[in-house]
Amino acid sequence: MLNMNLISSILASTLRSSVPLILASMGGCFSTKAGVSDLGLEGMMLAGSFFAVLGSWFSGNAWIGLFTGILFGIIISMLHAVMHITYKVNASISGMCVNLLASAITPLLLEIVFHMGGKSVAVAAFEKPDGIWIKKIPVIGPILASQNILFFITIVLVAAGWIFLYKTKIGLRMRMVGENPQAASTVGLNVNRYKYFGVAASGALAGFGGAYLSLGQMNLFVENMTSGRGYIAVVIDAFGRYNPAGVLAGSLFFGFFDSVQTMFQSVFPSQLVMMTPYVITLFVIIFVVKGGRGPAGMGKHVEL
Amino acid sequence: MGDDAKSAKSVEWRKSMTTSFFALLFSLIIGMILIQASGYSAIESYKAIFGVSLGTVKGFALSLSQATPIMFTGISFALAYKVRMINTGAEGQLYAGAMTAALIGAYVTGIPGIIHVPLALFCAFIVGGVIAGLVALAKIRFNANEIIMTLMLNDIIKFFTSYLANGPLKDAQSGIGQTIRIQESAQLTKLIPQTQLTSAIFLVILIAIILQLMLNKTVFGYEIKVTGFNLKAAKVAGISVARTYLITFALSGAVAALGGAVVALGVNYRFVDGFSSGYGFSGISVAALAAYSPVGAILSAFLVGVLRAGTITLNRTTRIPVEFVDVIQVLVIIFVAAPALIHSILRWLKAFRIHRRSKELGGAERC
Amino acid sequence: MELIRMEQITKIYPGTIALDHVDFSLNEQEIVSLLGENGAGKTTLMKILYGMTAPTSGSIFFKGEPLKLKKPADAIEKGICMVHQHFMLVPAFTVTENIILGNEPGTGAFLSMKEARHKVERLIQQFHFNLDPDAKIEKLSVGEQQRVEILKVLYRKAEVIILDEPTAVLTPHEVNDLFAILQALREEGKTIIIITHKLKETKALADRVVVLRDGKLIQSDINPKKVTTQQLSEMMVGRQVNLSKRQPAANIGNICLCLKDLVVKEGGKERIKGISFEIHHGEILGIAGIEGNGQTQLIEALTGMCVPKRMELTVEDQAVKGDCKDFLEAGIGHIPEDRLSLGLVKEMTVKDNLILGYHRKKEFCSKGGFRLEKKILDRGNRLKQQFAIKAPNIGAAASSLSGGNQQKIIIARVFSQNPNVIIIAHPTRGVDIGAMEYIHQVMLNLRDQGAAILLISADLDEVRTLSDRLLVLYEGKIVSESLPGELSEVEMGLLMTGGHTMIEEGSHG
Repeated sequence: MLNMNLISSILASTLRSSVPLILASMGGCFSTKAGVSDLGLEGMMLAGSFFAVLGSWFSGNAWIGLFTGILFGIIISMLHAVMHITYKVNASISGMCVNLLASAITPLLLEIVFHMGGKSVAVAAFEKPDGIWIKKIPVIGPILASQNILFFITIVLVAAGWIFLYKTKIGLRMRMVGENPQAASTVGLNVNRYKYFGVAASGALAGFGGAYLSLGQMNLFVENMTSGRGYIAVVIDAFGRYNPAGVLAGSLFFGFFDSVQTMFQSVFPSQLVMMTPYVITLFVIIFVVKGGRGPAGMGKHVEL
Repeated sequence: MGDDAKSAKSVEWRKSMTTSFFALLFSLIIGMILIQASGYSAIESYKAIFGVSLGTVKGFALSLSQATPIMFTGISFALAYKVRMINTGAEGQLYAGAMTAALIGAYVTGIPGIIHVPLALFCAFIVGGVIAGLVALAKIRFNANEIIMTLMLNDIIKFFTSYLANGPLKDAQSGIGQTIRIQESAQLTKLIPQTQLTSAIFLVILIAIILQLMLNKTVFGYEIKVTGFNLKAAKVAGISVARTYLITFALSGAVAALGGAVVALGVNYRFVDGFSSGYGFSGISVAALAAYSPVGAILSAFLVGVLRAGTITLNRTTRIPVEFVDVIQVLVIIFVAAPALIHSILRWLKAFRIHRRSKELGGAERC
Repeated sequence: MELIRMEQITKIYPGTIALDHVDFSLNEQEIVSLLGENGAGKTTLMKILYGMTAPTSGSIFFKGEPLKLKKPADAIEKGICMVHQHFMLVPAFTVTENIILGNEPGTGAFLSMKEARHKVERLIQQFHFNLDPDAKIEKLSVGEQQRVEILKVLYRKAEVIILDEPTAVLTPHEVNDLFAILQALREEGKTIIIITHKLKETKALADRVVVLRDGKLIQSDINPKKVTTQQLSEMMVGRQVNLSKRQPAANIGNICLCLKDLVVKEGGKERIKGISFEIHHGEILGIAGIEGNGQTQLIEALTGMCVPKRMELTVEDQAVKGDCKDFLEAGIGHIPEDRLSLGLVKEMTVKDNLILGYHRKKEFCSKGGFRLEKKILDRGNRLKQQFAIKAPNIGAAASSLSGGNQQKIIIARVFSQNPNVIIIAHPTRGVDIGAMEYIHQVMLNLRDQGAAILLISADLDEVRTLSDRLLVLYEGKIVSESLPGELSEVEMGLLMTGGHTMIEEGSHG
């Protein structure tokens, strides 16, 4: 029975670690499918997690915090969009600009708003649900009961994202823009509008993922609290071939490693344990993904 | 060829100078707005920053010493960008170089300084080169994204060196994570006593000049430029793209590692866990501001050094958040990457001025 | 009845006037051929009609009403559709998905693939197109892809169909099919514009011919039945053209290049299936064939851009293998098809572009790896004069030169190295007639100086006029070798489309 408990606690914590990865890499799917690189996810996540705390602090309401996080995820993603789509800057560079801006501006605001270095004050966050009825489901009940409401929203979002991309008109058009923007333009589609939409969706989802880190797993913002999860999400996207189902699997894989690492921290030196997710990511990107091409029209613009 | 002969170089040079100038100007202005918005006097702060950094010998020396590591990382980023590879791994290479140099400096004993210092630098150079070289190999062989690889390596190296400095290689007498002090023979010469300015500044200037010569005067430099501008044409022209990528990127990593080594040998006299205050990241804006020219990076790094030194001094007396310097640096990168943004702003300002003037004129007529 | 009238259309691009007060009108149910050289402004005019580009001045009337076109969607709404020269299809998507994009059936935001498939199937049946609606585009032949493009515009209820160079990539057989389709469409009441520079096709298909030259309208009401191709070509070029005069090789020498048993595999398929040939000094060997029959792979193998599965290649009796560098050193000069993207570094100076590929030669590079600036400069100035490259000076960026002069840089670079062998792919694609004559003359001169030249071109007239010996490439095999004039154009056309089996059977019988 002890083993059973151990397994279920690992699974529960795997799910918790996976949620921000799922959200961010889902966001990556949207922008990549529209033909825009998703390298700015880290910055969008970081902005999301800071502004979620800020929103919650101002309003005292975690939901308002969540929406603030999503909103600012979108706002900062527009830097990527404007630079890459409108000004045709290389998407790797504009993505990096988003990341750098977020990592520079969040400590500054931390200082200005909270007059604190390193971390914010504690704010209203998402609690675990009581989950009385969920607990009664055999086997998975206890695992699900330890998740908060954001987990369930995330699962709904994955399904909705898949339906959107593959079963709706806009989804089909967006994928076509990603595959061949020139062709999309000649059938009368406004290519840039779909690209902007894809980037905004990635900003919203990554912002949500960031908000989960600060308001779902904790109740405050810590400087650089995404610690590379946005980059891991980029790798997950390539690993999952930019398909919501694929990235869900990839996120669970990385989430699993994230959750078991905490168990080894008492056995091995903490630095070495904390190093492992990055080693795994590096390994995956070199030997598993192998460049993992996105849509054929990645980074291409319409030429007149 | 007279003055009318517009050579590609002079046109290009003028264009990038304009871009860099306005990028810096706009970024500084936005920085002022940020300071003002956070409740401090922007003019006073800028006066204090530039007054301290440029007006006093100590401040000037601090500017230069702050600039030294970012000269290395700036050159590093600029060099890799010449083949359109993005080396976001300067931070990790810096740590690796510092650790290597600190170990050679501490554990190799009984050799004179004239050998000890170059040996430590050389080993750091090699380690940085090997790390970046492996990244380049993975890109060539598996088409893996070098940005993600170097970013992951940054964290890996940071954690690993932190483990070493807190674990097996920890200085037993110290409370914090750092290695033991290096030998006297491995220490870099101080140029001005009681400052952190060392002979490393000559080393980095020398490196910049050598790399600039390599780019402009050698056939390999020509191949680097062709590869960067037009990959397909480089292949057709019989240039070994893999070799060009490998050597350039390895050199880029090696130079960044030297940046860490000179901090270990000249400033801290040991490896200190987490010693870098964003030197790798500063290198990106330094390179962008210099239009990716190694010699230009020396100058732009000095500018960034002035800002850094000024805010460090300012931070001792006031509570102005020093983080705004980082924001200024990011803004510089954004503006340089999208010069069209600068032109849009300039156009907008012009239209605004014309609009204002016509309004004033209209008002005058009515009077 | 007049359907569309474009009045006084002018389009100015920075530095050039693409269209200069052009009038163009279109009646219902006719096939109009818009004839002109490359750069005459045909495509620009049609892009304006399709709403892709805005005219600098001028107005458009649709059924007598003024028409404002801001984007293609506006044109599509009026039933004006365009089939582009480079197909606008998504290879990874199915026929159905490609056709319905932009006008998807379904309720609300959701897509109904069932309905879409049904609609597409009905269209295919209506026009007898013989396509599988569920096939992925990447699996289709070029002719089939073009039919998908036509279905795309029919699905959008096109009344006016603009086809940009529709026959450029088709086999003669496919061209006949296309013409039958277009004539059937006209009977159905559609109006068709074809943009072309091919005179014979114009005569065969069009009801009316409109000729543009240098952005100006030359003639707008030519009855193709009443003019000769010679007259048409003079209208197009504006002067007498003597391209078809042959200049046979005077002294063919020893074997220079010898290729044996070349096999190239690409994407799991054998694209070249065992080719052998040799080229003599002072000879132009022409390779005719429809694009996509292995030309690209042949060029890549002969220049070191790809590693073939099997190949024995000697130049001047020396075996050649390795990468591009080794092939260049063996004296194989290469003028690539996609010259500006493969042959030029636009950001760099003219003089630096003039040494590209030869930059490690002793002339330009010291033993220590330093550039010999003086020599590079001298040579640059010499070549600029010799090849009449129009540039302010050789330190100017290549991007500041006109397209024709950029081409000259590449030609000057290769030809000045006196290579043993020159491989030229589609040398006149995308250049105007003046440049074409120039390139042909330079080639012939070089041949007469003893170079061995391999000419690969999809333009049958070009290979037939220039070559001293002709090979036909079909599906990765050489199906015929002949001397110029030995085979008629019809026979060649048949060979190019796999008709060789028929000829052999015929001669036996």
